[in-house]
Amino acid sequence: MSPETGREIALSLRAVSYTYPGSEAPALNGIDLEVRRGEIVFVTGPTGAGKTTLCLAASGILHHEYGGALEGAVAILGKKVRDYRNMGEIGRDIGVVFDDADAQLIFSTVEEEVASGLENLGIPRAEMQQRLRDVMEAIGITDFADRAPHTLSGGQKQRVAIAATLVLGTEILVLDEPTAELDAEATGAVSTLLRRLAEKGTAVLIVEQKLNELATIADRMVLIEGGTIAKVGSPAEMMQDSVLRHPAPGNIRPPAPAAASPCGVPPIVSVRDLVHRYDGVTAIGGLDLEVAPGEIVAVVGENGSGKTTLVKHFNGLLRPTRGSVIVDGLDAGSVPVAELARHVGLVFQNPDTMLFAETVEEEVAFGLKNIDPRSTGEPIDAALSEVGLLHRKAAYPRSLSRGERQRLAIACVIAMRPRLIVLDEPTTGLDAREAARVMETLGHLRQDGHTIVMVTHDMLLGEEYADRIVRMEQGRIVGDRRTYEEGLCPKLCSISPGRAPFTASTRSPN
Amino acid sequence: MQYITRESAFHRLHPFTKLIFVIVVVLLAVLTSDIVMLAVLVGAVVAAAVAGGLARDLLRQVPLLASLAVSLLALTVLTIHNGEILGYLVPQSVPVIGGAFPVTVGAIDLAAAMSLRFAAMLFAFQLFVISTQPRDLVHLLDRLRMPIDYTLMLLIALRFIPSLQLEGKRIHEAQLARAYNPGRGISGKVRGLFPIIIPLVSNSLGKATVLGLTIDLRGYRSGLRTPMRDLAPGRVDVAGICCMGVVAAGYLAVLLV
Repeated sequence: MSPETGREIALSLRAVSYTYPGSEAPALNGIDLEVRRGEIVFVTGPTGAGKTTLCLAASGILHHEYGGALEGAVAILGKKVRDYRNMGEIGRDIGVVFDDADAQLIFSTVEEEVASGLENLGIPRAEMQQRLRDVMEAIGITDFADRAPHTLSGGQKQRVAIAATLVLGTEILVLDEPTAELDAEATGAVSTLLRRLAEKGTAVLIVEQKLNELATIADRMVLIEGGTIAKVGSPAEMMQDSVLRHPAPGNIRPPAPAAASPCGVPPIVSVRDLVHRYDGVTAIGGLDLEVAPGEIVAVVGENGSGKTTLVKHFNGLLRPTRGSVIVDGLDAGSVPVAELARHVGLVFQNPDTMLFAETVEEEVAFGLKNIDPRSTGEPIDAALSEVGLLHRKAAYPRSLSRGERQRLAIACVIAMRPRLIVLDEPTTGLDAREAARVMETLGHLRQDGHTIVMVTHDMLLGEEYADRIVRMEQGRIVGDRRTYEEGLCPKLCSISPGRAPFTASTRSPN
Repeated sequence: MQYITRESAFHRLHPFTKLIFVIVVVLLAVLTSDIVMLAVLVGAVVAAAVAGGLARDLLRQVPLLASLAVSLLALTVLTIHNGEILGYLVPQSVPVIGGAFPVTVGAIDLAAAMSLRFAAMLFAFQLFVISTQPRDLVHLLDRLRMPIDYTLMLLIALRFIPSLQLEGKRIHEAQLARAYNPGRGISGKVRGLFPIIIPLVSNSLGKATVLGLTIDLRGYRSGLRTPMRDLAPGRVDVAGICCMGVVAAGYLAVLLV
């Protein structure tokens, strides 16, 4: 029992250090941490600080499944992890949600997925059904219980993965960025449920970047940096730390542009009566939208509201079932994707879907050479300089940190000098510092004449950095407003509607 | 090939009945090389799919079967030379090499028999997979005392097919957005595969680790399986088994006569 609180220690790590196989630097270094029954411990820190490794250590995965050098002791409910026979036995005491929701979904319907673990607990069927109903309702996934998990949006998948773990009713939960892709409402539902579970005695160790939404439910907050615990305190104390706070609004926001209409500049994107259906589901149901050159537009909405489906029409990856999409004067419903790629750059949510080259330089050159085989290295250097990766030119792309990979993905797109840059969830999985850096880059790009459309479930991000917020619900636009006072902006009106003037090379290198 | 949520006659059958169906089709397919009998067998499986409202899903395998049939035909024409000669790949009028690679009835018969056999087995297995929820499959194999490692291997394999397809599509889209052009000629096609294959393999390896851990943590080795719903055979299973029995008996009777 802990003398401090009288509550029994559920999970403890004593002097835990770990070095991955083939690596010289330790990912964890002398970690001492305990989580008591009924306590929520919130762990945060910069990208690459060792948060995921901490989750793997706490759940016994490093001990049972990974090689490498592991020192120190981990105990679950007082039992040392090495005394557990295998992960199946550990799974009776600890529920783990990994940061890759996709990889945790095994079965063919959502209900089957959530029920799968329950069927292995040896509990009565009536209790199983009750638990299944309760968790699915609490997480808000009942509406798509019969759908195949792989057809869901990223956020919906994440909710299913959380439900499939919570339904097991383990005494300890280890959650690695479980709400990274969730909208505010779903994040709120998860935090309420976690608080309720903690009140019933569940010990929760949660790693997250969403301080504002989740840290408030925590009893303790832990800041981890460079594999060591840098600071521990109450959420109120810790939120005063400038390292942890979200960048203040307006810090890096470029001047607001004028609307298209006052200046008479034709829109760069014009969507008319767009309908998109697939597999019998209407993803977009009759939508009109115009985007003016030079705008930063945030397309926000709950998971599954059709945001990504909409922007995939801009570069021809999806074609309209009905209606028209005109981008930079081209009919995106019929022009080949390769041609549209000269005008529209799309940065995917997960940079790992595109990285394949041996070096950062080759990675950026790939798209550039596809549209202009005679291109030189100058645009590559300029793009890398813009995103602060010029010094990593020779590095292997997949060895970069998550934030660096995200910036590299942006560099790959901006090197092709498209007038319109579309980003799908550009800050998911990034810490506040990295997220701010990405947004700063977008600000520069807008100043250089690019138009930015970013898809995000993070309203705060839209409020802080976008000129305009377009809100979607069930495949329709239900709100469209500006985040600044309307007014004329001579600078933006003077931008030529021709090729985007990419000027990063004139800036000082990193 | 994955489970499809639908209310079909096949979906209502007990998984064990469907497994018997697959086994019966496989046995009947290997018992003969007669093209007519194998065509009848394929027809019976397709008729069962039509009756169950799943015929359109079977059609998705036709391109694969067609390419397999062409490959088998090429292989048998090059290697089997028994039976009546129908013609030559290289016309006899061509100097020196004229008359090479005769196309014989034996080669065509063998290619057709193997293709039909494969079609019958593939269609039957597909009907089983698309109408059986994976958890029901796990319970069935568990009750048949299949070692859990083999069951989980099958589960992961079935899970990975759609997952790989989806990941491949995602990567393809990401590269298309960078004006990706697969290139011309064989070397171009091979070079053009790298931007897809490398991320696909790297990402899949990472996902496989998490998938394995998830299966373990959900207690699939606990041996305490309690199905969420009853899977007792019903009248539809009796009817299904009777139909299979009649078709199989008729098939065997014709073979033996």
